Amino acid sequence: MTAFVPPEIDWAALTPILIVLGTAVLMVLIEAFVPTRVRRAVQTVLAVVALGGALVAVAWRWGVVQSQGGSELVGGALLEDGPALFTQGVLLLLSFAGVLIIADRYQGEDAFAPTGAAIPGSTYEEEARRAGLVQTEVFPLTMFAVGGMLVFPAAGDLLTMFIALEVLSLPLYLLSGLSRRRRLLSQEASLKYFLLGAFSSAFFLMGMALLYGYSGSIRLSEIAKAVPAMAGMDSLLLAGVVLVIVGLLFKVGAVPFHAWVPDVYQGAPTPITGFMAACTKVAAFGALLRFVYVVTPGLTWDLSAFLWGIAILTMVVGTVLAIVQTDMKRTLAYSSIAHAGFVLLGIIALDVRGISSVLFYLLAYGLATIGAFGLVALVRERDAEGNITGEASHLSQWAGLGRRSPVLSVCFALFLLSFAGIPLTAGFIGKFAVFSAAIAGGAWPLVVIAVLASAAAAFFYVRIIVLMFFTEPATTADGRETTVVAGEGLTTVAVLLCAVGTVLLGVLPSPILDLAASAAKFML
Amino acid sequence: MDTLNLSWLLIAIPLASAGVLLVLGRRVDRWGHWLGVLASAASAAGAIAMLVELLGRGAADRSVGVHLFRWIPAGDLNVDAGLLVDPLSLTFVLLITFVGTLIHIYAVAYMEHDTDRRRFFAYLNLFVAAMLVLVLADSYALLFLGWEGVGLASYLLIGFWNYRSDYAVAAKKAFVMNRVGDMGMLVAMMALFATFGSVNYETVFAAAEGTNQGVLTLVGLMLLVGACGKSAQFPLQAWLGDAMAGPTPVSALIHAATMVTAGVYLIVRSGPIFEGAPTAQLVVVIIGAITLLFGAIIGCAKDDLKKALAASTMSQIGYMILAAGLGPIGYAFAIFHLVTHGFFKAGMFLGAGSVMHGMGEEVDMRRFGGLRRYMKVTYATFAFGWLAILGVPPFSGFWSKDKIIEAAFVGEGWRPLVFGSVALLGAGITAFYMSRLFFMTFHGEKRWNDGHSSTPDTAIARTPVQHPHESPRLMTVPMIVLAVGSVALGGLLSIGGVFTSWLEPVTGVVGDHEPVLPVWLLMTLTLAVVVVGLVLAWRQYAASSVPVIALAGSVLTRAARKDLYQDEVNDGLLVQPGQYLTRSLVYGDRQVIDGAVGGLGRVMVRLGDVTRRLQTGYVRSYAATMTIGLVALVAVVLATRI
Amino acid sequence: MSLVNYLVLSGILFSIGAVTVLVRRNAIVAFMGVELMLNAANLTFVTFARMHGELQGQVIAFFVMVVAATEVVIGLAIIVSIFRTRGSASIDDVNLLKS
Repeated sequence: MTAFVPPEIDWAALTPILIVLGTAVLMVLIEAFVPTRVRRAVQTVLAVVALGGALVAVAWRWGVVQSQGGSELVGGALLEDGPALFTQGVLLLLSFAGVLIIADRYQGEDAFAPTGAAIPGSTYEEEARRAGLVQTEVFPLTMFAVGGMLVFPAAGDLLTMFIALEVLSLPLYLLSGLSRRRRLLSQEASLKYFLLGAFSSAFFLMGMALLYGYSGSIRLSEIAKAVPAMAGMDSLLLAGVVLVIVGLLFKVGAVPFHAWVPDVYQGAPTPITGFMAACTKVAAFGALLRFVYVVTPGLTWDLSAFLWGIAILTMVVGTVLAIVQTDMKRTLAYSSIAHAGFVLLGIIALDVRGISSVLFYLLAYGLATIGAFGLVALVRERDAEGNITGEASHLSQWAGLGRRSPVLSVCFALFLLSFAGIPLTAGFIGKFAVFSAAIAGGAWPLVVIAVLASAAAAFFYVRIIVLMFFTEPATTADGRETTVVAGEGLTTVAVLLCAVGTVLLGVLPSPILDLAASAAKFML
Repeated sequence: MDTLNLSWLLIAIPLASAGVLLVLGRRVDRWGHWLGVLASAASAAGAIAMLVELLGRGAADRSVGVHLFRWIPAGDLNVDAGLLVDPLSLTFVLLITFVGTLIHIYAVAYMEHDTDRRRFFAYLNLFVAAMLVLVLADSYALLFLGWEGVGLASYLLIGFWNYRSDYAVAAKKAFVMNRVGDMGMLVAMMALFATFGSVNYETVFAAAEGTNQGVLTLVGLMLLVGACGKSAQFPLQAWLGDAMAGPTPVSALIHAATMVTAGVYLIVRSGPIFEGAPTAQLVVVIIGAITLLFGAIIGCAKDDLKKALAASTMSQIGYMILAAGLGPIGYAFAIFHLVTHGFFKAGMFLGAGSVMHGMGEEVDMRRFGGLRRYMKVTYATFAFGWLAILGVPPFSGFWSKDKIIEAAFVGEGWRPLVFGSVALLGAGITAFYMSRLFFMTFHGEKRWNDGHSSTPDTAIARTPVQHPHESPRLMTVPMIVLAVGSVALGGLLSIGGVFTSWLEPVTGVVGDHEPVLPVWLLMTLTLAVVVVGLVLAWRQYAASSVPVIALAGSVLTRAARKDLYQDEVNDGLLVQPGQYLTRSLVYGDRQVIDGAVGGLGRVMVRLGDVTRRLQTGYVRSYAATMTIGLVALVAVVLATRI
Repeated sequence: MSLVNYLVLSGILFSIGAVTVLVRRNAIVAFMGVELMLNAANLTFVTFARMHGELQGQVIAFFVMVVAATEVVIGLAIIVSIFRTRGSASIDDVNLLKS
């Protein structure tokens, strides 16, 4: 028996994660002990401060890594290196905007059910609504999810990655089911997300078990070391690698593991959709990036057909299905699937430039996504009596919005243009970087398909723009019409933040591209 | 050297002015338009300084790259934002800023009563800045930026009076047609990038020579699609006529002199690519030939003064595109014609604006007539433009258009005969419809209600009383300047081949090519068809009376009035490959958006439906998809091991 | 007995779990399928730990059990709330969301 050696823990390096998870725990206590009246305000302020603080901590650790290079933490369970810190920075920035949108409310009502446990449409629920109950649990849940996301791309072994995966997913399953309106859809989204998520994490776990069996370790670097020694056990290795990658591909929403994406994105409360569309994807791609770049370089030949197939399917299916959608949230969901395909190009490139391009693309995509969903949450229906009800998510309801609220529509158009990859937006630079990395990695047929897919995709983005600016607003028989609510201004702040970021990254991308490039250099 | 390093100022000044005008808003209503004029004039002054600088150098040193900043650094692949000042771009810069400034001045008076005049000038400045970006760019990426910018400005200006719904529709049509063209540009750019790893002119052109012809053909055709969208060439021409809904100075500047010629610029600029792709070049020539006839025929039947001029623009750009497709032999003449056309067509548009100004915004030529006695300056300036476009020596058009016709006759096999004849025929039709327009407006008896003389025709008597009068000095002076250009510019620039040798560093040196027919014969033939066209028009529209209400006309007339069914043809052409485009995108069709996928192309529908069927809503089927996918993937990966 | 038999068993359990998710309509039973898959993975871990002669695999199994437990908590919460809304726990009844 070997004696147990406690790992050296560099607490300083863990500050960003500790801040977020510590705040999450504190928030649970606040739920229990702080009076209802001030709870929401306290939670909001705490969340914003914690995310800001963690961002500062990441910046500080960035400086340390720049000067001293990356390091292994907690005995190698966590890694502190360029890509990890860059991804964490992006995540914190995006969740900052996400939390602002989550906290926003209109006429005292936020996007969440007053009591999640109440039966939809019951008198109990109605009473809770009238009493002005607020589900402030969304804040600790969001913070836990952010904590898991921070660990996910920094994980140095598969167990940590698995735990992080669960820590980020479990709160999201719940958050998906908490929509204030359209409760049935929301609950359904929650159930689907949960069942399929659990199903895929079982795959991930099995893959992890096979890799453990192959290499005798779950440390990524150890597995990578064992890869060249494929003596008769190669099927164990390959099956394990495929299963783990599939588990991660589920989270990023790659085809054929994408089926949950449109349903969950549509059913979940819109602020949560934005948060999870942007942040989950960033975190999962961060983890996928690490796994693929650390473990599989020796398996390129075996895996290329697999990854190429997935990338092609994801781009094509995402684009084609986005074209036939009639619901705004579903359209954006399919477009996010197509984007996952584009990012996969950078992953397939297996090149230093691939890392930096993926990192940049994720930031560009995340900004546009959070902003777009934030705006979707503001576009509401108004019935004949003038009451503001649910979101006007049907595409036809967006007709003529450009005339009624030009600023909002211009911002939304900007995000769409960024999705479409039109020059002077972040999305263009991101696509440019990813495509050029893929070409450098020899994947030019993929780039041709990607270019065609983005050309086709541009049509449905432009279609929405045409709809907003050049189509007369539709009038319905029952006097419902579309209106834009103002909220308390938190969403506006977040959306403007995203819009400014999208333009800045499009016009002057070099600082961030340089940052991403230097992040890629410090990959452990 | 210093002068050229400051070339970015040319763009920055109008851009800053546009920003000031838009940001300060109503506060600057009183002097905002003069700021706009000043900004444009400053750019023109800068352009002249640059011209002096370039003329002071040897021909070989006249191409100067100006590095601005590193736009996209991505490892070895950098995209720099830089400007390229060479004879070609400088020619455009001079045209844009000079004609632009004149039109700015004209618009001060023309838009005097518009409460939004300041905004109008902001857009005009924005346009000038974007157009300068387009021509000064040193890479396709930056060119595309300008390309989108002029599209945006054009859209804003066409729809400037967007409270009138048909105007808004016109703006929308232009917007969408241009998007189709933009897709071509994007694909071309992506293909260039995939092949050469760069979209910089220098790199691309240097590498183009030894490249696979298939790639170059693809790039060339896609660039042509882009050019067709922007320059209103067949089959993307339908928007230009509708774009006339915009204020007349806009029609003169954007839809006659500058923006619509961007396609010609693009093709000439991309010369090295087209030279490696003869098929693409042939398509360019064919498109040019079709459009020049197309526009000319439509021009014969339009009664709307501005729409007739728009058809003529389309046709003249067809000439330029045809010349550009002929290769190095035609490049210089394409640009030459572009410059002279910029002058005389802008002049005529301003003249048309002046006529409308004096006639209470009437545009129907059948309600003009005999105006030469009332607006003498307009008449005289318009007459010079008319003579120039007809190609009567020694006016400008003669020097440029004749050369294109000659160039079209150069070559072997069937091409010179076909393209040459088309160009020749076009010249005849041009003479007819331009004379028709001219005579209907300024000659013949008056067909408008002057309020006192007893008019026998009740159709006339019912119309509002007109008091035709000459326009203010601010409007006539630009017209006079442009008329001087229409008279003299072509001749001046032709003396000793000044213009062609000026462009030689870009277009390449071309030896002498003999047309298949002798030059003197071609010249005589051209003049003959022009005279025939003119005389026919005189007999029909000046010597005899013109009915106020258009007659039903022949089949061809009816077709031409309906723009040769170009909207219908467009439907046919674009709908078949993807109805999605025209229905759901172009017209924002409710049907598609409401879920009935009637408008989608068949392939898309089928593809979408099959894949959509997988999205059943059942968790178990999702799980099954995942499992099947997983099993297939594991099998594929393990299969590589066997 | 060869340790490989345990691996075969875990493979069988994993497949049974996966098939359960695919064919059973009751959300709780489908969820039990997932749990079965997790435990099959656990068995694999423990077996490999034995094969490699070290403890890491066994430790992992404990982590997985904790994760499975939290999944149960959250899963049941979601399933129960849906059951109270619809009076049914069939996962085929929840298909309002589709293309």
